[in-house]
Amino acid sequence: MLLPKFEFYEPTSIQEAIDLKKKYRGKAKLMAGGTDLLVHLKKKLVTADHLISLAKIKELSQVQQAGDTLKIGTCVTMSQLSKSAVIQEKFGAIKTASDNLGTHLIRNRATLGGNVCNASPAGEALPSLIVYQAQVRLQGPEGKRKIPVESFFKGPGKTDIHEGEILVGFQLPLPEKNYGAHYLQLGKRKSSEINVVNVAAFVEINPADQTVKTARIALGSVAATPIRSFHAEDVLTNKAPGEAVFYEAGEAARHKDCQPIDDFRGTAAYRRAMIGVLTKRTLETACKLAMAQ
Amino acid sequence: MSKFDVINSYAPRIDCPDKATGKAIFTDDLSKPGMLYGAMLQSPHAHAKILSIDTSKAKALEGVKAVITSKETGSVKYGVSPARYDETMFATDKVRYVGDEIAAVAATSLEIALNAVALIQVEYEVLPAVLTVEDAMKEGAPQLHEAFTNNLCAEVHQEFGNVEEGFKQCDIIKTTTMKNKRQDGAFIEMQACIAEYDRRGTLTLTTSTQVPHYVQRTVAMVLGMDVGKVRVIKPYVGAGFGIKAAANHQELACCFLARMLKKPVKMNYTREQVFMYGRARHQFSHTITTGAKKDGTLVALKHECYLDGGAYTSFGIATVYYTGSLLAGPYKLPNMSYDGYRVYNNKPACGAQRGHGAVIARAVFEQQMDMIAEEIGMDPLELRIKNMMNTGDTTCNDLNMSSFGMSECIEAVRDGSGWDKKKGNMPKGKGIGMACGFFVSGAGFPIYRSDTFHGTVIVKLTEDGGTALVYTASAEIGQGSDTAFAMIVGEALGIPLENVRLASGDTDMGVDLGAYSSRQTLMTGHAAKEAGEHAKQQVLEVLAEQLDTPLEDMDIKNGCIEFKNQTPDFSALRTRYIKEHRGWTDNPESEKLTFKEASRIAFLEKGSIVGTGKYRPHWLGGKFKGAAVGTSPAYGCSAQVAEVTVDMETGQITIDNIVDAHDCGKAINRNSVEGQMQGSISMGIGETMHEEVIFNDKGQVLNSDLAEYKIVTAMDMPPVKAIVVESDEPNGPYGAKEVGEGAIMPTIPAILNAVYDATGVRMNELPLTPERVYTAIQAYKERSNA
Ligand SMILES: Cc1cc2nc3c(=O)[nH]c(=O)nc-3n(C[C@H](O)[C@H](O)[C@H](O)COP(=O)(O)OP(=O)(O)OC[C@H]3O[C@@H](n4cnc5c(N)ncnc54)[C@H](O)[C@@H]3O)c2cc1C
Repeated sequence: MLLPKFEFYEPTSIQEAIDLKKKYRGKAKLMAGGTDLLVHLKKKLVTADHLISLAKIKELSQVQQAGDTLKIGTCVTMSQLSKSAVIQEKFGAIKTASDNLGTHLIRNRATLGGNVCNASPAGEALPSLIVYQAQVRLQGPEGKRKIPVESFFKGPGKTDIHEGEILVGFQLPLPEKNYGAHYLQLGKRKSSEINVVNVAAFVEINPADQTVKTARIALGSVAATPIRSFHAEDVLTNKAPGEAVFYEAGEAARHKDCQPIDDFRGTAAYRRAMIGVLTKRTLETACKLAMAQ
Repeated sequence: MSKFDVINSYAPRIDCPDKATGKAIFTDDLSKPGMLYGAMLQSPHAHAKILSIDTSKAKALEGVKAVITSKETGSVKYGVSPARYDETMFATDKVRYVGDEIAAVAATSLEIALNAVALIQVEYEVLPAVLTVEDAMKEGAPQLHEAFTNNLCAEVHQEFGNVEEGFKQCDIIKTTTMKNKRQDGAFIEMQACIAEYDRRGTLTLTTSTQVPHYVQRTVAMVLGMDVGKVRVIKPYVGAGFGIKAAANHQELACCFLARMLKKPVKMNYTREQVFMYGRARHQFSHTITTGAKKDGTLVALKHECYLDGGAYTSFGIATVYYTGSLLAGPYKLPNMSYDGYRVYNNKPACGAQRGHGAVIARAVFEQQMDMIAEEIGMDPLELRIKNMMNTGDTTCNDLNMSSFGMSECIEAVRDGSGWDKKKGNMPKGKGIGMACGFFVSGAGFPIYRSDTFHGTVIVKLTEDGGTALVYTASAEIGQGSDTAFAMIVGEALGIPLENVRLASGDTDMGVDLGAYSSRQTLMTGHAAKEAGEHAKQQVLEVLAEQLDTPLEDMDIKNGCIEFKNQTPDFSALRTRYIKEHRGWTDNPESEKLTFKEASRIAFLEKGSIVGTGKYRPHWLGGKFKGAAVGTSPAYGCSAQVAEVTVDMETGQITIDNIVDAHDCGKAINRNSVEGQMQGSISMGIGETMHEEVIFNDKGQVLNSDLAEYKIVTAMDMPPVKAIVVESDEPNGPYGAKEVGEGAIMPTIPAILNAVYDATGVRMNELPLTPERVYTAIQAYKERSNA
């Protein structure tokens, strides 16, 4: 198998990239780290006569804190995220996800934007982005728009991106106080895994009575897109955290919120059961972190 | 303190500097002037008749130099064992698995070659396919090979002693079943080769193989050439694990194209093609019944096994025999019966892989040992010691344990793991388990019937006297054999390793059956030792004459001549040597006469000094059918203890550590011995925990890459304590025997026994994916609650 031939472009500004994309339309593909795209090209799952690399557009590779929001450029790599102070400090569930994706070599290339645009139901960073309420920032010939990441995924490999648009980055509200978040994934071996299931949870505790004020739980690999686990969230809301509640939330996620399928990586029944366990465990850690603040 | 000067140490491997700096040359690093690129058309169907092949469009493509099918190449049958040649270079009438070879193209670039392959038009009549042993054996099942009815590739029926009578004496009888999954060797270097044909009619094939010798013979046979006109060269190889232990279609097609076009041709397998080619460990389905007395004495074993063979035989005949024969040790077992069936189906052929044939049988049996121990309330380690064979014992099927450090191995892992304190006292979710195993140290017979020596070695002393050059056709495939043989020659000659240079892996250098059945250290090692000693003898003969000292009173050690009695006056020799070297900086000043001087003088007297060595095992065959498989001049043995943690909610297993003791007779290079132990464990863990080639219902491999075929990562690898046990094998050079394959034997059952200890669940199917373990735990809980 050989990589097919293509023309390669390295624009240095967003506008230039948008112009190129407009010019070649469906015949062009945007490339960030290429860790999905080049594999797909080689396997002939996608075709492209033109590849527009985003790597030389400096502003897309930055993590910036501005007031009460954090902006993450689309081309920020997993390694960059793992090392970023603000990610380590305030977005532990993203840090854990970035640490988990692929191998060192892959993490040095794989970008957050690429992970999101690839829209795999098992995508590593997606549940965490959802529970932190990340917004997706898009820019195209028609201008800019911003939508919640949660509504960005439309199916395996499918997103709400319009023809000609580029994902430029993410905007996340900086969580305030009394919160905790965690991410867990399960695979067959200890690294370089494609997730059998993955779960992220974000919890905010009401300091007055130590009950759960808000809970957001996102499940991966158990539906056509990563999904929110609303039933599990309901179980927690206004309750004092504890083993029984976590278990009940896990069971709600398992039985009410996920719609997994059988494939060669695992059966639906196992995925369901593991959603129960991982939901319970992410909540345990998230609550512990929230109450420690 | 070792009594040896070179061997038995931790020597840096001689290939290290090149490999560590990326300078080592592998086949794919090579290219030749005017080289063409080859590519193959392989069947997209698991089973189909070929109605017609039209290569005209492919031939018409610019840059294409040749397109060959069986029409051009003929259909000489070949395979691994001459008793069962069932393959041809290209399919003639039908294809039998997804990947069966149909045609090959040579073109000026790989891209053109691949485009040309896509232009070959084949008309198929798709036939119903059988993909499992069960389906293949059903009445009325589609048949793969006309000559082999019921898709039965081979069957073996053996009985030693009287099993039925044996069971009558037993107080405990355990029957269990178990199956593993098809493996892939997952070596890092994919098969690659370059063939060249010179104007004098010599074909040179440079290829990534474990067995230059057998490849040479197969190429000669299939292409109808003299063996002497075929030369096979093996550069550095990125492992083989058994899969590269026979000629493959690509090598044959490449040679054919090169001869036809009189141009060098290069071909490579992609990773997907490696999976399509297969030839790794079979899937085995075992049913084993073991009977013992209540004091723990093993009495009888009844064994039935079905092997998922795939479309062709490959090593399968040997495999199905090994599967049975290697259960006869390491415990005293007077009665054993075996019924083995290797079944064809429409998947890639399976073949030999590390621990050939025996690994899963061992995994079942070693679990039964634990079950028996549990039932009679005996420590599983004691049960094993109780039944252990002794040095010199012969199994019921005639395998002789000429050296046998098994008990030492058990004691070493007992101490090394803290077994006595831990066994029975592990906290919930944690477990400890042990197992033993043994393996051949070189097949007793070549694959084809022959009186050939199994290995020859030439040692030539350089004419300046400084260096010994070693030439061997043996195969360094990453296991460290080059270093081992350089060390052995150094030891035999009495010179340091740094003064030995070695070239290997070229059929022009002699005969060597290659790297399989853990044979090289013992067999090539013998030849290396003999060649080194032969060269030394010749040097000493000259010295004896020159110094008028009896030969028996002299020896060479550490690069100097040692005299038993008074050192004779050698000043005349030294002066002669120095005169020869006017203006040189390295004239000897030592008090002792150096090897360098002595061998220079020997050259001046006799011309080039060449020592030769050879090895062939003594007659090892038994009297019954199939007795040859399993025979070996020696057997390596080992014991392992594994500790695991099981996540009872998810089924995830963490292997916390493994303690391994292996009796390798005598360690030539301790670095390599420990490396083989570590590597065996890593492969064993992969097979236990997550490796499995998965097919869809069309016979296509679903996980033909190393993202989805899950070998062990550094994160999965536990700390390993590797303990080397030395038993001094009488049939081995300096007492050495195998470590390359035997070391994998206990890994799987040790982990399985540890998982049982942690969970109370016996797993009867591999790999232990979290899902499989979780499901078993759930079922166990339900049973316990019911
Ligand atoms: C060995 C290996 C292991 C892996 N392991 C994991 C893992 O554990 N978990 C996991 O989730 N993934 C894994 N992946 C997949 C992959 O690495 C990730 O999805 C990664 O985040 C993709 O990022 P990238 O920058 O390489 O994307 P690319 O391959 O460059 O792009 C991916 C897709 O997004 C589009 N795209 C990229 N950027 C933009 C943009 N700014 N605007 C619009 N479209 C865009 C591209 O056109 C393409 O379709 C693995 C891949 C490999 C090869």
